[in-house]
Amino acid sequence: MATQLTARKHGSAPPRRRRSVLARHDAMAGLLFVLPCLVLFLVFRFGPAVAGGVLGFFDYTIGGTAEWKGLDNFRRLWEDPVFWSALRVTLVYSLIAVPVTVAAALGMALLTRRAFRGVRFFRSVFFLPVITSLVLAGAIFRWLFSAEGPWTTMLGWIGLGGTPWLESSTMVIPALALVGVWSRFGYGMLILLAALQNVPRELEEAATVDGAGAWQRFRHVVLPQLRPALFFLAVIETTMSFQAFDAIYTMTGGGPAHASFTLVFDLYEQGFKYFDLGYAGAIGVALFIMTLVVALIQRLLLGRDK
Amino acid sequence: MTVTTASRPTTVGQGVDSSADADRRRARRGKRLRTTGRGVLLTLGSLVAVFPFYAMVVLSLKPAQAISFPGSLTPWDLDGGAYSDILGAQDILRWTLNTAVYSVVSVVLVLLLASMAGYAFAKKRFPGKEPLFWSFIAMVMVPYHVTLVPTFILIAEAGGVDTYWGLIVPTLANAQAVFLMRQFIQALPDELFEAARLDGCSEWRVYVSIVLPLTKPILATLGIFVFLWHWNDFLWPLVIAQGTDMRTLTTGIASLNQQQVPLNQLLAGSVVALVPIFFAYLVGQRYVQEGVVMSGIKG
Repeated sequence: MATQLTARKHGSAPPRRRRSVLARHDAMAGLLFVLPCLVLFLVFRFGPAVAGGVLGFFDYTIGGTAEWKGLDNFRRLWEDPVFWSALRVTLVYSLIAVPVTVAAALGMALLTRRAFRGVRFFRSVFFLPVITSLVLAGAIFRWLFSAEGPWTTMLGWIGLGGTPWLESSTMVIPALALVGVWSRFGYGMLILLAALQNVPRELEEAATVDGAGAWQRFRHVVLPQLRPALFFLAVIETTMSFQAFDAIYTMTGGGPAHASFTLVFDLYEQGFKYFDLGYAGAIGVALFIMTLVVALIQRLLLGRDK
Repeated sequence: MTVTTASRPTTVGQGVDSSADADRRRARRGKRLRTTGRGVLLTLGSLVAVFPFYAMVVLSLKPAQAISFPGSLTPWDLDGGAYSDILGAQDILRWTLNTAVYSVVSVVLVLLLASMAGYAFAKKRFPGKEPLFWSFIAMVMVPYHVTLVPTFILIAEAGGVDTYWGLIVPTLANAQAVFLMRQFIQALPDELFEAARLDGCSEWRVYVSIVLPLTKPILATLGIFVFLWHWNDFLWPLVIAQGTDMRTLTTGIASLNQQQVPLNQLLAGSVVALVPIFFAYLVGQRYVQEGVVMSGIKG
């Protein structure tokens, strides 16, 4: 330590100055490379994120008039039955879509885990719905669930016919959740496949030698190793499900009678149909809090593991 | 007595042999069963994944009134009338152009900006680097919908409604892209950059002739992702590009949906809008799948 210091003090004065010039040059270049991104982030991420938190306290109309409203928008939100119904619809949707998506993803990941002929074909096919916009697929799903479509017809064959699901206020959310599962399980499959690569093969072989069956191996060897990935997936899917919009917009428009009217739909209508931007901002804050709570729960559960 | 003792080992030996045989046979049968079971489940799964696409294509090729199941799903009596109707009567070509501009311009600019920032965050030393980087990343946590209304107000006040720049510019601040670029560039050896600088390369030259070529794989992955994301984007174009001429394919098809256009024409429009996405996926499949895993691991 000391020798280093003295060596620097005496021997290397000119190089040191050159180095500091170089360092300054380096810092300048670094800042210049970051600058375009920084400006964009300040204007379109940090700014709107802060404004999003603040907007709820104002009444805002395009043209630049903002009127301080205090907690009015939040009080209105609290007393608005449409908001509570949207919150309930969103949560029910998540409660169906997330577990089924994660289960389907896990099943398909386990099935395509080991290499065999055609495994890449299956993985690619399962990922196809993920890259497909639900706005574009919405029309075909509306037909699939319509009175003439296969879903209603086949349910009729086994005696479960009746109101087409998209027109039934109880079955519309399960129908939309199934569409959500269709469009998301391929993503989860890839995440879990990556995690499965990290399960040491020797562990499973040792369990086999000890006489563990397939289920026991899965339950006691594979599953514990998969826990972090499963948590990660559950959080991502929950966040995604809170934001479900595309399929709902094209398939039901929030109906019948608000039965599939989610929070994002509420935000969209308040903001861009009635131009009640302050109120839409308050709904945005509610969404943010929900996302935050889910992230915190994940932290707590994972933290407890370690 | 002696006979029994003498014969004993052989019986036991035989017993072991035959039971091992049976075990092996059972194991083989079990394996075959498992393979068959797996095949059946995977086939079922892919049928579920593919069926909507099949229905979409077949129904788009049927006359408008043939919509009842199962007759409508037969792969015969097809004609492309719906395609010429939808391409002739609607603005689909215009929307395709808009979507292409939105996607391609965004891909180029996001790759440029994110690789520049990623390079600086990975290899440069400047004041405030770490806090700046982590506050970029923290922005991933803020949901899209919280910033939606303020961003709309910002663009609307600046006169960006129904313009390409208003559509594109706010989507360029892509935190995940910066993160992935920084991770990738950090793994490259420092000596490469130092050698170039000692040779007298300018900073910009280092970026163009070293950073860009070396990051090709990650640029391809990111590029496909950004392309897919923009091509499919819906809510932002829906609020900011409202005029018929400025719609993208997603918002355009959604507007047809609300105008009660016949199903076969609507589906023909959807198929047209999906073809480029499928093509991009076919070309870049490997990158897409790797990219999912990469961005997933960070979490």
